[in-house]
Amino acid sequence: MPTRQYATFEVAGQLFGVEVEAVQEVLSFHEYTAVPLSSPAVGGLFNLRGQVIAAVDLRVQLGLPRQSLSGPVMNVILRGDDEPVSLLVDRIGEVIDLEDSEFEPPPETLTGPTRELVLSTVKLEGRLMLAVDVAQAVDTARVAA
Amino acid sequence: MGKERRIRGKGKPVEGLDDIIQEFLVESHENLDQLDRDLVSLEEQPQSRELVSRIFRTIHTIKGTSGFLAFTNLESVTHAGESLLSRLRDGTQPVTADTISTLLAMVDSVRSLLASIEESGGEGEIGIDAVVSMINRQMEPGDATAAAATSAPRKRAPAKKRAPKAAATPAPAEPDADRYEGRRPVGELLVEQGGAQSGDVATALQRQIEGDERRLGTILIDEGKTSPGAVSEALQAQGKRSIADSAIRVDVDLLDSLMNLVGELVLVRNQLMRSSAEAHDPALSRTTQRLNLITSELQEGIMKTRMQPIDQIWSKLPRVVRDLSQAFGKQIRLAMEGKETELDRSLLEAVKDPLTHLVRNAVDHGIEGPDERVAAGKDAQGTLTLRAYHEGGHVTVEVADDGSGIDVDRIAQAGIDRGLVTAAQVAQMSPREIMMLVFQPGFSTAKTVTNVSGRGVGMDVVKTNIERIGGAVDVESERGVGTTWRLTIPLTLAIIQALTVECAGERYVIPQVAVHELVYVDGRSTRIEYASGAPVYRLRGKLLPLVRLDQTLGLPSDGQDENVYMLVLQADGRRFGMVVDRVLNTEEVVVKALNARFKDIGLYAGATILGDGKVALILDVASLARRSKLATTTAERTRSAATDEVAAGGTPAQRLLVTGVGERRVAIPLDTVTRLEEFERSRIEHAGSRAVVQYREEILPLVRLADLLGAMPGEQGDTVPVVVYSERGRSAGLMVDKIVDIVEESATVRKDLHEDGFAGTAVIQQRVTELLDVRRAILAADPNFYAGTVDAHLVEA
Repeated sequence: MPTRQYATFEVAGQLFGVEVEAVQEVLSFHEYTAVPLSSPAVGGLFNLRGQVIAAVDLRVQLGLPRQSLSGPVMNVILRGDDEPVSLLVDRIGEVIDLEDSEFEPPPETLTGPTRELVLSTVKLEGRLMLAVDVAQAVDTARVAA
Repeated sequence: MGKERRIRGKGKPVEGLDDIIQEFLVESHENLDQLDRDLVSLEEQPQSRELVSRIFRTIHTIKGTSGFLAFTNLESVTHAGESLLSRLRDGTQPVTADTISTLLAMVDSVRSLLASIEESGGEGEIGIDAVVSMINRQMEPGDATAAAATSAPRKRAPAKKRAPKAAATPAPAEPDADRYEGRRPVGELLVEQGGAQSGDVATALQRQIEGDERRLGTILIDEGKTSPGAVSEALQAQGKRSIADSAIRVDVDLLDSLMNLVGELVLVRNQLMRSSAEAHDPALSRTTQRLNLITSELQEGIMKTRMQPIDQIWSKLPRVVRDLSQAFGKQIRLAMEGKETELDRSLLEAVKDPLTHLVRNAVDHGIEGPDERVAAGKDAQGTLTLRAYHEGGHVTVEVADDGSGIDVDRIAQAGIDRGLVTAAQVAQMSPREIMMLVFQPGFSTAKTVTNVSGRGVGMDVVKTNIERIGGAVDVESERGVGTTWRLTIPLTLAIIQALTVECAGERYVIPQVAVHELVYVDGRSTRIEYASGAPVYRLRGKLLPLVRLDQTLGLPSDGQDENVYMLVLQADGRRFGMVVDRVLNTEEVVVKALNARFKDIGLYAGATILGDGKVALILDVASLARRSKLATTTAERTRSAATDEVAAGGTPAQRLLVTGVGERRVAIPLDTVTRLEEFERSRIEHAGSRAVVQYREEILPLVRLADLLGAMPGEQGDTVPVVVYSERGRSAGLMVDKIVDIVEESATVRKDLHEDGFAGTAVIQQRVTELLDVRRAILAADPNFYAGTVDAHLVEA
């Protein structure tokens, strides 16, 4: 049975996962530069070894209030099309191996902003993981400025 | 040169040939540009054997390689060209304008063949018969140039037969063309330049073989077969060629990635310097100091690899000027000054089209026809001068002609006709302001529309393109004397001089090029006023519209009108003031592109990483002006821009920086001021008896003007304003109590006050103001400031 590796993280108590191949690195960072007049989904910019990276606030993408950027925040840095982009999350989880059979479509009861970000639901022991559509998650134009 | 060209390798007979073809294409493209230049020069100096030989060799090389690679059309064209060239070289046929035109046509034909090879891998459908027969016509016996047009078709066949023959019987001095990339023997060069007979050289060589240890040139000179001058000329030519041995081709992408890495290194260095300063560890600080030096040198070195002489784009212009002046029946000499001036390659690319347009425009509209010129008492031949030089961290490129100048009345009329300005406005405008109208979109005054210029596109595009790269455009013209177009271009796009400001607790970076002045608004002598709610500032008697950066960016605004700074900005022909909380410093910043998701906002030109590692946004001043809805009409915009040009231009009024030193007012000529800084008093250190401050990783010597002038110092705040003065890579700072204003002053200086350190006094803004003797003050800060500047300059460069 083919398996896929997922990097997991938590936002507002919910476990999410993205395919490991999409992830460049994970790190905690505490200095963000706000970008006035940009989409509220943009948490800010930060300096990753000399590269300017945009951090997307996954809370806002999920229809929640903005993440507080006063202290260190975890970043899941994704390899973008031409440059990396980061997702701001609450907590980093484990990397897990998942078999194709474990994936199920998102429940029909799931609606709202989260539904657009989720590709499928994965039944883990004791909890559910939502597989995130990376392209949707970093699309800051979804939320009007 | 652009990126290295890659070609598709489809249908190639031999594997591995692609690389050879690619190399051939890159090399040939370079050679073709050189050919254009050489041919135009040859027209001016028809007797130059060196030029003919060089042209011959280049064509010969292309012919040889194309034969090897089985590009038969290319081979035929170059073969024909070579035949004609060998006749020129042997003196069988004189160099005429027609010959040059023919050879240029051949170069064009070679160029299109190469383009086709690059595009499709093959020669394609490009016909060469027309060019070949044109060349053959040139080689007709007798008065070839005059008879060519009519007699050629009939005699084409015999001419064709002659061509190979000419090439088959090489002249005695025929150089070994295939070796020209290496160092060529001096003897060969001597013969080629007509400095010695080949027989004599052969004799001298024979002597060397027989054991004569003298150098070849020495033997020839000793025997009176040549002159020392000819030998040194040959040696020089030899040296020139050998550059090919010491240069290598590097992929531009590699340079770009090195540039990025160095940018990162600079940041790491800055961060390390900061931590090391806090650590108070002598060993660590010595090491960081060394790292600092090496990083700076590395950065400079990498920057240099991206720099290319402006000649790179100028080299195509002699051909443009020649072709155009022939087409218009004008006689134009093209002079170039400062060919070696270097610019970042990305900027060169951006400047190319605007520059070509200005040159075309000057040939078309600027310089008159020969008859008109003679009637005006001028030389029948006009002169077009290209000039490039460094000036204050910028490169200035000028296109100057000695033509009829710009007819201001006609421009004004055209401006009115096109609804750009009203007649009433024109009456208020200075000639200079009117001239600036030519940069308005849709403006054209060409009497007739030509295919060269005069379609109403151009000058505005020139302006837009130059402003896009952070540059500026200006024009100066005098009726009957000529016109000068001036482009001011930053040295590089990747690193810019920028001003960091603070607004609502965040730092923003503003390109220095857009900042004209800095005014501290104290709410008393300098204050913000409101015209029905719209904030304005009286700047030298004129009202300047103001925008608040915090409001523009939608940030929480406290609407503070006191203890804030106002930057006088100019972009897109608009002039406005921007209010910020604090001005932090000026420094060079590395520009990082912003992700596409922020493009729509339009307010940011990019981002940069500040010395403390935090990201700051670089503001796009032009869109800031647009965003703030500075509702100025086109005419007003032009006027404010033009007024500024007048102020900066030839008027005798001097701009003075007025500072407060205790109770006294001291004025410093603004043109000697590099920057205004505000240093925390705690940062000022003492080296011996002198005050210094660490500034941009250097030690900046300081002098307190109050001490120098024997004035009572004023209140001591936490920070001290410093006027930074730089010259030839050295800087010194003058500490003052406050910066009062910048004024334009043509008041007569009364030099009755006799006190050390002053050049005189004047009444400025109803107050007696002393004019500082800057040189004296600088010497007080750094007694060695002017000594050894030559050496310092060399080190800096």
